[in-house]
Amino acid sequence: MISLEGVSARRKPASIKNVTVEWGPGVHAVIGTFSDGCALLLAVIVGAAKVQGGRIRVLDGAPTDARARPQIARVGFDPSLPDGLRVDEALALASVLRGDSPRAAPERLSVLGLEALARRPVRSLSRGEARAVALTEGLTSSRVAVLVIEEPLSSSDARTARRIVETLRDKARSGCAIVVATASLRDAGDLADDYVLMRAGTLVGQTTSVNTLASVAPDGAGLALIARDATDARRLVAALASEAEVAGVELLASVVKVRAADPVALARAVARAATQANVNVIEIRRETP
Amino acid sequence: MIASLGRLSAARIVRSSRLWLSLGVWCSLDLAFAVVAREHGWAHGADRVLSTAFGALSLPFIACAIARAAFGGRSMLSSTAPLVAFGAAPWRAAFASTGVATLATALVGASLAALVALVAHGTADPPPVHDAIVSAYVGGLGGAAYATWFALGTTIGRRGGGRLLLLGLDWLLGGAGTPTALATPRGHLRNLLGGASPLNLSERWSAIMLLGMMVFCTMLACRGTKRR
Repeated sequence: MISLEGVSARRKPASIKNVTVEWGPGVHAVIGTFSDGCALLLAVIVGAAKVQGGRIRVLDGAPTDARARPQIARVGFDPSLPDGLRVDEALALASVLRGDSPRAAPERLSVLGLEALARRPVRSLSRGEARAVALTEGLTSSRVAVLVIEEPLSSSDARTARRIVETLRDKARSGCAIVVATASLRDAGDLADDYVLMRAGTLVGQTTSVNTLASVAPDGAGLALIARDATDARRLVAALASEAEVAGVELLASVVKVRAADPVALARAVARAATQANVNVIEIRRETP
Repeated sequence: MIASLGRLSAARIVRSSRLWLSLGVWCSLDLAFAVVAREHGWAHGADRVLSTAFGALSLPFIACAIARAAFGGRSMLSSTAPLVAFGAAPWRAAFASTGVATLATALVGASLAALVALVAHGTADPPPVHDAIVSAYVGGLGGAAYATWFALGTTIGRRGGGRLLLLGLDWLLGGAGTPTALATPRGHLRNLLGGASPLNLSERWSAIMLLGMMVFCTMLACRGTKRR
């Protein structure tokens, strides 16, 4: 379904080098940060980034083929939704363009409990709401056979996160190949059937057990950050995921475990993330790598 | 398919209060000039108002405002990204958005030109109905050409700032009697509205040049999406 053979690509500041991987139906996790090239890898899969070398096949063709395009959906950090329309109109337009049979917007949105957003203008949605609508569109389209998502559980509360996990698994059972990119080992463990680890643009590990994967992560400094609650911890994870120096993030209830090669860079990244997410970190403990 | 793709740009145009405000200002300005021409009994009132206030000033700004609204105030790539994310081919999405902007500008240009011709009609102008029809044709053609001109500008710059660049180029290069006016909508529109023609071109050739410019700008604008 998705096949990459020695694929290299570059889009500043990230790059990927010689990535070879094959995915069929199921949920697959790419673990790493933005600077490791995870988002770029997803962009390559959907044909939004130019491949410099290697070969990529999605649904037996190039991802930009007219036949493949409507069957591929991408939910990025900043999703592209039609800004001039209401949410229900945007979903109706998506149905027409993908070739889906028309369905009522509230029915589609109910999958993630978002019925209340149906009449809202897309322009008025927060980033989290826009991501949820884009995710719903991909999940509820009968035509989408490849779905790629960046940090699917960030900026969602525990109940929504559980719903997302269940719905993704249902979609995968219907034959869809879902690739999620996340910096959180915990999120990857909750979501995926198999895992690949990206470091500095290179695929450094591939396994079906998240515990095995943890062992291939490079050594360095580690911190355990204790947040006030699970919601704050998730916001912190989302902010840490965009920090270039952070090598890995793991979420355990209200505890965020974060790792980096350099301790000073790690401390700075944590401070920036806490400020950006506006989260009070109650306690910081040193973790032995 | 193209009609569905045009829904986004149409909604952006219809729901943009900034655009409606801008249209209100420019239309009021033209109509005010037309009323002044009528009140002062200018013999060539329609000609003068159409070639000065309408053709040289309002229409380019109206077309720029409509193009801005149709593309959501962003670049071509970014404004068509939502349609591409739903599976549309980038060039089709660009073509549909450009088409909607062109149709809307042609409609506004034709209506406003006809209205101005009727209100400002002077004793030496051709018969009012005939003049209104011809003015509508010229306003529509000029508006459509300007819309594609600004659609091309939308492919320049991260936020489509090329629209303003092309507006400036149109002013700079489109001056009366200059050979460079041949490459701008302004030069040909002025010729069709009874002003100086670029390189003594006939009105028919100016109309053909505007049509060619529309095709050329549309093709270049759609080609600009190939980078995705």
